[in-house]
Amino acid sequence: MKRNVAIIGGGQTYHAARRHDVDQGEMVNEAVRAALKDAQMTMDDIDAVFLGNMEFFEGTHLTDCWLAGSAGAYGKPGMKITTGGTVGATIIGAGMHHIAAGLFDRVLCIGFEKQEEGDTGAILSGVAHPLYGRSMAGAAVGYFAMMGTSYMAAWGAKEEHAAMVAVKARQNARKNQYAHLKLDITIEDALNSRMLAYPVRMLDMCPASNGACAVILGDEKTAKDRCKKPVWIRAMDTAHNEQFEIDWRNVTLTKPIFSTACAARMYKRLGVDDPKKYFDVFEIYEPATWAEMVWYEDLGLCGRGEGFKLMEEGATAIDGPIPVNPSGGVLSTNCIGASAMLRVWEAALQIRGDAGGHQVPNEVNRALATAYGGTNWTVMTALSSSTED
Amino acid sequence: MNQKNTDTEQICVPMTVDVPYRFAAGKYMARFLTELRDNGRFVGIKCPSCNRVQMPPRVVCAACHVKNDEWVELSSEGTMVGFTIMYLPLTDPTTGKPHEPPFVYGSVRLDGSDSTVEHMVNVEPDLDKVWVGMRMKVVLRDREERIGDLSDIIHFEPLPGQKRPQ
Repeated sequence: MKRNVAIIGGGQTYHAARRHDVDQGEMVNEAVRAALKDAQMTMDDIDAVFLGNMEFFEGTHLTDCWLAGSAGAYGKPGMKITTGGTVGATIIGAGMHHIAAGLFDRVLCIGFEKQEEGDTGAILSGVAHPLYGRSMAGAAVGYFAMMGTSYMAAWGAKEEHAAMVAVKARQNARKNQYAHLKLDITIEDALNSRMLAYPVRMLDMCPASNGACAVILGDEKTAKDRCKKPVWIRAMDTAHNEQFEIDWRNVTLTKPIFSTACAARMYKRLGVDDPKKYFDVFEIYEPATWAEMVWYEDLGLCGRGEGFKLMEEGATAIDGPIPVNPSGGVLSTNCIGASAMLRVWEAALQIRGDAGGHQVPNEVNRALATAYGGTNWTVMTALSSSTED
Repeated sequence: MNQKNTDTEQICVPMTVDVPYRFAAGKYMARFLTELRDNGRFVGIKCPSCNRVQMPPRVVCAACHVKNDEWVELSSEGTMVGFTIMYLPLTDPTTGKPHEPPFVYGSVRLDGSDSTVEHMVNVEPDLDKVWVGMRMKVVLRDREERIGDLSDIIHFEPLPGQKRPQ
């Protein structure tokens, strides 16, 4: 990068299925105020505002325009970004690139979603090709269900392994004051929850949440002058998958897919040989239990077909050797436009040691956040407490 | 008179947005759909560089960045690579009507293709009767009922005489 970029502040709203108490602007403003307070800044310190959500989930377009006031963007440069499930991480990527290139010194990034206000299932069907998949759309649930049957058939994983992921996420969420689903559940509870689409049960899926996240990025000078605990963005990469080619059905093949290709590129740039040793915590985008185990493999935390074994061993527990989603993850909170930004922000909080109840017990210096969405693509962000690694 | 508390009253207004579209299928998809409609055949396109057969056909091979131009006829039989038993009454956005649950929905790789097609599967929603690796065939509507859309496929049907592998 031409200039180092740090996360110098951030904040999030409380997440819930219903937020009738606020409109979109009021909700976004909650996160913006929290981020400014965290960074000890006012809007006057901010050069530009980048904002995004999942297009049309709230039945409105041009949210950058009519949220200008509550986002703090009035009179400032800015842009709206809409890249589906990945959007929160894409916004941070755009902000980072602008700072690295020297165009701005301090950028406010905002991701939000008021899922309750629109028909997300209907809008999601627009992700499918109109002539090749839309009429048959099984929505996100059907997609992850087929991932589950395919994964079980390929590697011998059982529904119990998915249930373990469900329990880990919700038990971690109970330690996170901002999380949506704080459920004291057991593996039996997960296996006995209502079947949505075999093998995906109610507790295997993320909720539809309302909420927002805001992150303030700064250049090196701002970070060192004004921020006690800057968290440095050391690398960021993104990779698309080919339309119609659903990678998880090819999990037995060796060809690179979007997530493995993206991770490999980023690891190469950072000189990472063993990601599970290099990174101290992972915040990954797992809308369904099965996706989490596939992510373990895509990120190289284990070999192909070993993701469910990693889960079984408890290796990815909050106090395990490879903590994954101590926040409770997307399975516990999914305000889509904010979800990928929350992964980055939660990873930053872990490095700062500010995660509170869900702080992992081991020292955290490096963290990896992933995003996931659209017709399979990812944005990955590597964070560090230092600019030296 | 019933005094409303303006501090706590929350107003939510229901709305419906109806958005009609027209979608140009393009040269490659149009040929795929007319072959399906008029001849009941599936066609794919072969990459001249890596030789993979893609369905639906598209103008370039994403992996090789070369133009695809060799059309390949595919079998109407294939192998199930993933499936689900759906318990949600999902709405078909092209008709506005829900698919009645429970139903089996699957992803099938037709013989000769490197890609898959997803559709309804005509088996009971019973895990003993459907599995990954099951051999399937496509059942199409009668010629005069076909419109040039994936709904021209009624469903996949298992080839007879199969036993679930242990």
